[in-house]
Amino acid sequence: MGKINLTALRVRQTALNQFASGKINKLPQWVDVVGEIPPSETLIRNRPPQHQLVRQRMKTVTGSSNPQVVFEVQEKRRKSKKSSRLFQPLELKYEEDELRQNFFRDHPWELARPRVLLESSGKDHENYDWSRLKQPGKRLDGESVVQRQLWLLNNVPDMTKSSAYDIARREFYRLRLQEDIERRVAAEEAQATGANFGSSYLEIGMDLENQQYEKWKAWARTEAQVFEQRTAALSGAPEVALEQQGQEESFTEQPGSALA
Amino acid sequence: MIVRKLCVGQSRQLLALNRRAPAYTRFLSTETPVDTAAPTLPKESIAPAENPLHEVVQASRQSAQVNPRQQWGELEKRRHKFNNLGTSVQESYDPEDIIRNPPKPSDVTLEMLLAAGTHLGHSTSRWNPQNSRYIFGIREGVHIISLDVTAAYLRRAAKVVEEVAARGGIILFAGTRKGQKRAVVRAAELAKGYHIFERWIPGSLTNGQQILGHCATKVVNAMDQELPEFQADLADRGSVKPDLVVVLNPLENVVLLHECGLNNVPTIGIVDTDADPTRVTYPIPANDDTLRGTCLIAGILGRAGEAGQKRRLEMAAQGKTAYEPITARQLRLDPLTGQAPPGSELEKGKQG
Repeated sequence: MGKINLTALRVRQTALNQFASGKINKLPQWVDVVGEIPPSETLIRNRPPQHQLVRQRMKTVTGSSNPQVVFEVQEKRRKSKKSSRLFQPLELKYEEDELRQNFFRDHPWELARPRVLLESSGKDHENYDWSRLKQPGKRLDGESVVQRQLWLLNNVPDMTKSSAYDIARREFYRLRLQEDIERRVAAEEAQATGANFGSSYLEIGMDLENQQYEKWKAWARTEAQVFEQRTAALSGAPEVALEQQGQEESFTEQPGSALA
Repeated sequence: MIVRKLCVGQSRQLLALNRRAPAYTRFLSTETPVDTAAPTLPKESIAPAENPLHEVVQASRQSAQVNPRQQWGELEKRRHKFNNLGTSVQESYDPEDIIRNPPKPSDVTLEMLLAAGTHLGHSTSRWNPQNSRYIFGIREGVHIISLDVTAAYLRRAAKVVEEVAARGGIILFAGTRKGQKRAVVRAAELAKGYHIFERWIPGSLTNGQQILGHCATKVVNAMDQELPEFQADLADRGSVKPDLVVVLNPLENVVLLHECGLNNVPTIGIVDTDADPTRVTYPIPANDDTLRGTCLIAGILGRAGEAGQKRRLEMAAQGKTAYEPITARQLRLDPLTGQAPPGSELEKGKQG
């Protein structure tokens, strides 16, 4: 058998040959089905789709009052392709890619926000109108800014990339601030009507810190006592040293007695 | 500034529960906290007739004495009163929907395939160059399968399934990956075919007498009614072979496809960018790693089989068949020699 196995593609021919030679005495039911709906050609290489980066812009033309839509196509490279790469698929490029990269380079923490990847019908884009930033059924995120910027570039006359970015970004910041306020008000309302969100992160932190302080206090007390004892013994006041020793014993016994 | 009418806004809870309401010290967010008296229950502050909650609340207070039927009635009443509050979800995604109610081949759209993620191939380094005609481009180092090609090949495969089902062929659905079980069973159920969701036992086709010899077989008429009088003639016949095999993961079922090749059985398979498209007769270029995508494709093929079976039974009801039916005499003949078994009525009839 050669490198390529075409057995699966030639089932009908094989069945007909087997019938003609008498190996099988009846043709299978699927023979005419496979004859009517033949398998497609495989192993034939076509030229892969040649993707081009197309930019749409509105430009004011001298002489006419109305701005015109101009399509710019990215120039092809002069150098011809290596023949071995002729049938390889090409990279898909879109204008948004650069905008997206810029936005997330400037706002890396936008990538940390949760995102819905699931599409129920695949027709979500039909509900979107990027002449405004906020879309029904879509959470405000970096992608909104990118799409809004692209819309501005495509539809506003003589728009530059940086000014489109600034406009989209400003709208985005404004909406984010509004969301923050809404969230705060909702929490406040909930608390006023009896909700309890538990202690805050700051309070939890303060509690943990207080626990450590208490531990340190206990430790420092024993250390201080040991130190005083030592100084008293050295200064030659045995009665003071004895007294302190007794105190220390009672202090160390306390937890044990409490347990008992 | 937020002004809240507590007694009205929260009256349902306040009235229904026989507890002291919490003390609200802050009414306005800008005000300094002032001690206010705890609000007492506004028991009969509103006249019973005016208060829409009155009867509901009264009923819930007496719920200890009433029987379950009355409680259910009260619950329904309450639900009816309040069901226009809140939001309702208009359109939501249910993963079970694709198994319960798969789309027909004519309903296949590119958006549907896109949402199921069938366009995502494998990393470019893992590609099989034989698939280059199905690939649209490269995105982020991953091959993207052309959705229009997927749709065209899927429709072609669905047509084959339908035609084979209309001719009474045996269709076997195989999907041995984790999670494909229910989709495979559902597709087989729709197409009145057979299914495998565990390992394909090697030799089930090439050595079928040994592996499947003990399995039950039956003779049916064109209306799928069993004919028990021919049961004895099946004893010396080999195991049944499928007329079409649908494989959802050809990469793991190489042995099955090889046996289909040896036994000359046409196959349909989902071919990802790293699979070999010549292994199957009818490849469907799509992502075989997404469960939603494979469930969708299996469901579409199952629906096609359902249409074919329906057509076959309708024709059978009119006394017609799209295939050449096997006769009683052919069934009675010895499958190896093609002669009538010695001492049978057939032999006597021939002699006479």
